[in-house]
Amino acid sequence: MKKISLVSGAVCLLVVIGIPFLASDYLVGFFFNMFIFVTVAYGWNLISGYTGYLSFGQISFFGLGAYTMAIAVFRFHWSWQLGVLTGAVLAVVLAAPLGWLMLRLRGPYFALGMLGFVQVLYMVASAASSVTGGGEGLYLPPTADLHPLYYSAAAMVVLAMGATWAVERSAFGLRLQAIREDELAADAMGVETTRVKLAAFMLSSAFPAVAGGLYAWRLSYIDPASAFPGNYEIQTILMTIFGGAGTIMGPLLGGIALSVMGEVIWARFAELHLLLTGSLIILVLLFMPEGMVPLVRRTVARRRGRIARSAAGEGA
Amino acid sequence: MSTLLEVRSLTKSFGGLRAVDGVSFKVEEGMILSIIGPNGAGKTTLFNLITGALAPDSGDILFEGRSIKGLKPNRTARLGIGRTFQIVRPFPFLTTLDNVTLAALAKAKNRREARLRAAEILEITHLSTFARLDARNLTLARRKRLEIARAMALSPRIILLDEVMAGLTPVEVDETIVLIKSLTTMGIAAVAGVEHVMQAVRKISDRIVVLNFGQWLAEGTPGEVMRNPEVIRAYLGSHYGETGEDA
Repeated sequence: MKKISLVSGAVCLLVVIGIPFLASDYLVGFFFNMFIFVTVAYGWNLISGYTGYLSFGQISFFGLGAYTMAIAVFRFHWSWQLGVLTGAVLAVVLAAPLGWLMLRLRGPYFALGMLGFVQVLYMVASAASSVTGGGEGLYLPPTADLHPLYYSAAAMVVLAMGATWAVERSAFGLRLQAIREDELAADAMGVETTRVKLAAFMLSSAFPAVAGGLYAWRLSYIDPASAFPGNYEIQTILMTIFGGAGTIMGPLLGGIALSVMGEVIWARFAELHLLLTGSLIILVLLFMPEGMVPLVRRTVARRRGRIARSAAGEGA
Repeated sequence: MSTLLEVRSLTKSFGGLRAVDGVSFKVEEGMILSIIGPNGAGKTTLFNLITGALAPDSGDILFEGRSIKGLKPNRTARLGIGRTFQIVRPFPFLTTLDNVTLAALAKAKNRREARLRAAEILEITHLSTFARLDARNLTLARRKRLEIARAMALSPRIILLDEVMAGLTPVEVDETIVLIKSLTTMGIAAVAGVEHVMQAVRKISDRIVVLNFGQWLAEGTPGEVMRNPEVIRAYLGSHYGETGEDA
């Protein structure tokens, strides 16, 4: 099993590296968008999938990253790479006081609180026109070469996956899951819930911030509507749930599945696109609410059990 | 023996209701103290006050001679006070082993060490067979045992057991008695809140405190307390209490 996942991982990596040399610009753009979605999804997965604090506002960090990059390039003439990194750092720094405040809220209150925070940032971006360009936005030098962006986004996906893998195996990860399952019981078992939650929140803010920076550089334009795209929030949440919230592979598999599905449906039935996608989502939530990863895991375990039983002479 | 835990005239009201009303008692190292009383006597509130889940209105709580009043549950847990919940609260989608490993993290250096410690405790509590099963799939009796196992994994000095025998079959009660008694051989003291399982209380307790409507009613050895007419009256009603006195 370990060998299989190692080999398939290596093959995937080679394909990802090879795509820009083989595929059309359109396809490279498609993959870039998918990586952006998946990176945001991994951020959401940490705070909502592992820790159980359902957020409808991770896109606020996406917008923060986008604006930081744009302002760094437009006003200070920094390189876009430095702008993107600064955005990530700013997001983590901002997440500290924000989380300290917000993580007192639970369940729907936290979700709505974060949704409200997106609105606050949206208004700030619209109002502070001397810095952000306001409603007119900021125009950045257009990007001729998509490849550096593509590879940066791909690297972010790998990094996010690696970080999630490390978290899941660590003591920190187990504490997050305990908070998700029963915060009161976790507290009684010695988990410093406030600190642990805050750490998860700060970590989770870095990924959408980087994604936002890369996205804005690709768009070479930023305004409040493109910096805080509400459908990105919903898309990434759906991807994570579709793939399996609180799993290492969930955001990646869900992101690939929904991106490809969206693309195919859009190409064939442009008018029915939203209707079909929506129906599909409802079906998935009804019949596999835990997502793909737990479903696959159970099927494999059942088959293994059957093989073991028949080997032991109990099978039919 | 020295005093491990001391509760001094602890009081807590919810609105007009005095849930715990000036209760005091001491727990010596390695002893088992039972707190008995009818439903609503204040046992669970008392446990919530000791662990820091609730803040007392007045009074003090001393652990190893120091006041722990105002400390959060995760602090008191790491100091050495484990607890179980009356309505069991396992982490449902974590395995039995991970449930206990989480608690063991409080004292372990890393997750690997915590897992080893957890495996030992599952062995002691006869839960090893279910180590890889999600906790939500355990029977009630096993979930109650898992509660005790998690508390033990904290390597505590004392465990507060909230109705760990309620709803169990007689055989399961006997198994739990053995487990609770084994705590003392490990040097862990216990405070057991019990409503109904009086036979068990008699078997496990070094001392018993009786609560009624949040107030301290009596304290003594099991024999003393069970003969106390006040206690009989509280449990069985005034009629039986009077007959007891007459006899």
